[in-house]
Amino acid sequence: MNQNIEIPALARVEGEGALYVRLKDGAVSEIELNIYEPPRFFEGFLQGRHFQEVPDITARICGICPVAYQMSSVQALEAAMGVSISPQARALRRLLYCAEYIESHALHIYMLQAPDLVGHESVISLAGEAPELVKKALRLKKTGNQLLSAIGGRSVHPVNACVGGFYRWPDRQSIYNLLPDLRWALQASLETVEWAITLNYPQFEQNYEFVALTHPDEYAIYDGEVLSSSGTQINHTAFEKHYLETHVRHSNALHSHSAAGTTYFVGPLARLNLNFAQLRPIAQQAAQKINLQLPLRNPYMSLLARAIELVEVCDLAIELVEAYQPAGESRISFEPRAGEGCGVSEAPRGLLYHRYIVDEHGMVRFARITPPTAQNFAQMEADLWALAPSAIQLPQEEASLAFEHLLRSYDPCISCSTHFLKLTVERS
Amino acid sequence: MTNDLVVIGIGQALRGDDGAGLAAVRVWQQTYPGSASRSNVRVELAELPGIGLLSLLEGTRAAILVDAVRSGGLPGTVHILSEADLSNPHASSASAHGWGVAETLALGRQLSPQHMPGSIQLIGIEAGEIGMGEAISPPVAEALTKAASKIEQAVCQALA
Repeated sequence: MNQNIEIPALARVEGEGALYVRLKDGAVSEIELNIYEPPRFFEGFLQGRHFQEVPDITARICGICPVAYQMSSVQALEAAMGVSISPQARALRRLLYCAEYIESHALHIYMLQAPDLVGHESVISLAGEAPELVKKALRLKKTGNQLLSAIGGRSVHPVNACVGGFYRWPDRQSIYNLLPDLRWALQASLETVEWAITLNYPQFEQNYEFVALTHPDEYAIYDGEVLSSSGTQINHTAFEKHYLETHVRHSNALHSHSAAGTTYFVGPLARLNLNFAQLRPIAQQAAQKINLQLPLRNPYMSLLARAIELVEVCDLAIELVEAYQPAGESRISFEPRAGEGCGVSEAPRGLLYHRYIVDEHGMVRFARITPPTAQNFAQMEADLWALAPSAIQLPQEEASLAFEHLLRSYDPCISCSTHFLKLTVERS
Repeated sequence: MTNDLVVIGIGQALRGDDGAGLAAVRVWQQTYPGSASRSNVRVELAELPGIGLLSLLEGTRAAILVDAVRSGGLPGTVHILSEADLSNPHASSASAHGWGVAETLALGRQLSPQHMPGSIQLIGIEAGEIGMGEAISPPVAEALTKAASKIEQAVCQALA
């Protein structure tokens, strides 16, 4: 390879982004990951809005992980106004999050990353060779979307979660009816783990600082404290003191570093490495069956971590569905009051932090949203630099693919907001 | 859920003309309530269906998709496209989640052709402005009535 690489639109990456790798005298002189990121817009857009609009507005940041945006925002606003939700509402929120993990992980494992690992250009060509595999992926994704729809009213941007709980309890029978599909999904997830270990992952081990939420009693997804593989564990309210965002010239997105100036890595690898002990027995057994050695330090193996998490959330979803007995008010009634609060949860792509200031009428005066992909940008660039010396020895097209493949393994959610059909109209 | 026809508006309502597909379907529902409320017609307003589009298409004989497109034409231009037009190699989609309408339909035809509608028509509305939080731009807003009448024509044709 002796030319610069420009990948103006990254395929199979969620949203809009571009990568530029520039060479000088045969060596890499510049790497830019250029990002268009909507959460910054939402921070401004939310100011002056009523607090109860926030979960439904932030859900629209992403078509794949709307629940994450809802869960971090409702928790932040509940903290700001001193609201505690009922244990039942918390259980239903965890179930809603399971639905999102199922649909999001199924999409990324099979549709977005697997084609790279098995040498296919896209899932469409993969479907030609392995239709049953892709059908399984679609059914898994559909199971997640059906659960999302049963709780949130819609399969893409759910609307039921609110500050204080839920607007209404979903009908018990409609949730219960999903049990056969969820039991199938659990089996399909176990098969996914066994299939995932057979894939050929590129050799690329790095020394990462992993950061994820942690919870003493459960595999942290809905809430928890912020744990780093460096050994520090902090309450989430101290997040902004320990993890700083800075602006870099070439990107619309802010880049995150720890207070010590190090890059860090959030997402499924971080969660699995830090919280393996809290996984449910069936997920631990699935990992042990394939002789998984932790910590995993290869970003491509995020696929394996997602597969094990699929087992976790399917098994948890079955338990939560079986225990679902709606009773009493679905949301706490309260009067808005002035305050400031933050909330964190683990989006499928990693830790998602929100902070809000509301006034005495419950109007939002300030919003801060730190998405997982923004936290990973600096680490992604560091990885691109680490990959570059070997990648630039490859022919141009293969080098481009190698960079794209690495980025896709991160499952970056760059912007989930446009979906244009780019069309060339040919007239003869 | 079996219907003769499904009409699906696609787009992101918070991004200006990207929401033209949704808006056109709403205008059609208001202008032609007789057609829009027929028991054998299902209407879906799907903001970012991605691959979930396949579930929306299941169990129908025909489908009409209404979406914003970019071809370099004047904003507000209404395109009538067949499924074959979408498989044109020049029609690639820059979709959130890498899953545009064209790829999703191709995957559906390949994997489960028996679950796909026999005919799929796409009504594309040429987008102009797509700024975050913007309203639909004037030329596209003006074109919504025309797009709605094209939807109605396609509906009548599909049910004929």
